[in-house]
Amino acid sequence: MITRRCGTATIIAVSLLWLNNGSFAAGKNHELFQDTFDAFGTLVSISIYGMPKKTARTVSTAVISDLNRMHGFWHPWQPGPLARINKLLATGGKFYYPPSNLPLFDDSFRFSSQSGGLFNPAIGAFIKLWGFHDASHLPDKPPSEQAIADLLKKNPRFSDVVVDGLQMYSKNTAVILDFGGFAKGVAVDKAVLRLREFGAQNAIVNAGGDLRAFGKHGERPWVIGIRHPRANGVIASVRIRGDESVFTSGDYERFFKYHGKRYHHIIDPRTGYPARGSISVTVITESAGKADAAATALFVAGPKQWRAIAKAMAINQVMLIDDQKQIHMSKAMAERITFEMPLGSYRIVEPPP
Amino acid sequence: MKPADAVLVTVAVMLIAMLYINFWTPGRRAEQAQIRTPYQNLQVSLQQDRDIAVKGKMGISRLRVRHGKIRFIDSPCPGKYCIHSGWLKRSGEFTDCLPNGISLMISGADARFDAINF
Repeated sequence: MITRRCGTATIIAVSLLWLNNGSFAAGKNHELFQDTFDAFGTLVSISIYGMPKKTARTVSTAVISDLNRMHGFWHPWQPGPLARINKLLATGGKFYYPPSNLPLFDDSFRFSSQSGGLFNPAIGAFIKLWGFHDASHLPDKPPSEQAIADLLKKNPRFSDVVVDGLQMYSKNTAVILDFGGFAKGVAVDKAVLRLREFGAQNAIVNAGGDLRAFGKHGERPWVIGIRHPRANGVIASVRIRGDESVFTSGDYERFFKYHGKRYHHIIDPRTGYPARGSISVTVITESAGKADAAATALFVAGPKQWRAIAKAMAINQVMLIDDQKQIHMSKAMAERITFEMPLGSYRIVEPPP
Repeated sequence: MKPADAVLVTVAVMLIAMLYINFWTPGRRAEQAQIRTPYQNLQVSLQQDRDIAVKGKMGISRLRVRHGKIRFIDSPCPGKYCIHSGWLKRSGEFTDCLPNGISLMISGADARFDAINF
């Protein structure tokens, strides 16, 4: 009898050990690899679930070197291929462009035209005039009204850039290309491709708060918190389905105050001034490049125009918080988002019928 | 009671205790904070009071650890939102000084989010 009871006890004890090593441990990130590094001018984090640590480390290293290479290719202000393109565009003459920049051009033409020019990578001159081109410094006052008006008259548009086979030129010499609202997204897409090449099935690539995630964290979906644009903490969260990019453009990322007024880094190409009306826009869509361009365009579009521009860009999951503390959402976004804090003076705007 | 019964009861009690600890203790006292800067990632223990200076894009941000809590006490940013955020203590709580490129998150086994989007 004693033997049998001891047997039962042993079975329970063994089950307990198994539980502790198996399911409990998995719940404690046993299979989660995380790496954070400085790349692409920002802090990049990679999370991979369910891959041997050694392989994950190799992929992560490959991604770091990819990102640094792309950053060099696509930086508008540091010496490199894009800076060279900018110099040549300013001459108005035809030139052979470096192929490393092609991934940026094709989609940019499409997104720029779909957004009615609100996503406009040709306004590098405005970015520089405002002083937002230097990552290590923030400007302390806005440029003169005259300087903005003069540049606005020259009207640099992305459609001024003509790609003719292997050659390129600009019809407008005021064009300076800055893919700030897009290059990071494209880089995240490339990083995801690289992860998949190495066999990753569950991962997040987070580049300075903008991310693409695919697969799951074990048995549960990846959970992404969206930062509150004014308060401390996370306003809402989404659970990733399959493979999705979540990008947010906010006026709180890079800004300065002058005479009590906030001047942020997202310039409205129609006015030459920081876009007014939105304080943050979150977009969820398949590719990170598209999410990046759309978040920028919809931020500029503001609370009155975002629905039309989202439709034109085929984006159906959007949350826009405006400067009147109103939260606007598309139907598809409203159906999946979870608010994580009391909204206080913020209120959700019902969509038009 | 026979010896094996005692073993069985002990094991059962242990099992219940373990299940309780694993599933029913929400928001355990946070042990550590993750500080991310453009130049480094730091894990700091919240059990040891001290002030920490970290270099960001614009300059030096200062953080203070006191009695299991952490906060920004100084930063070269224009809005000072990071300082206004006050003390962080529960796991998953998060704030940042984006102009200076520094984020602060309380880490723990029950962190609620896999990533923060901003």
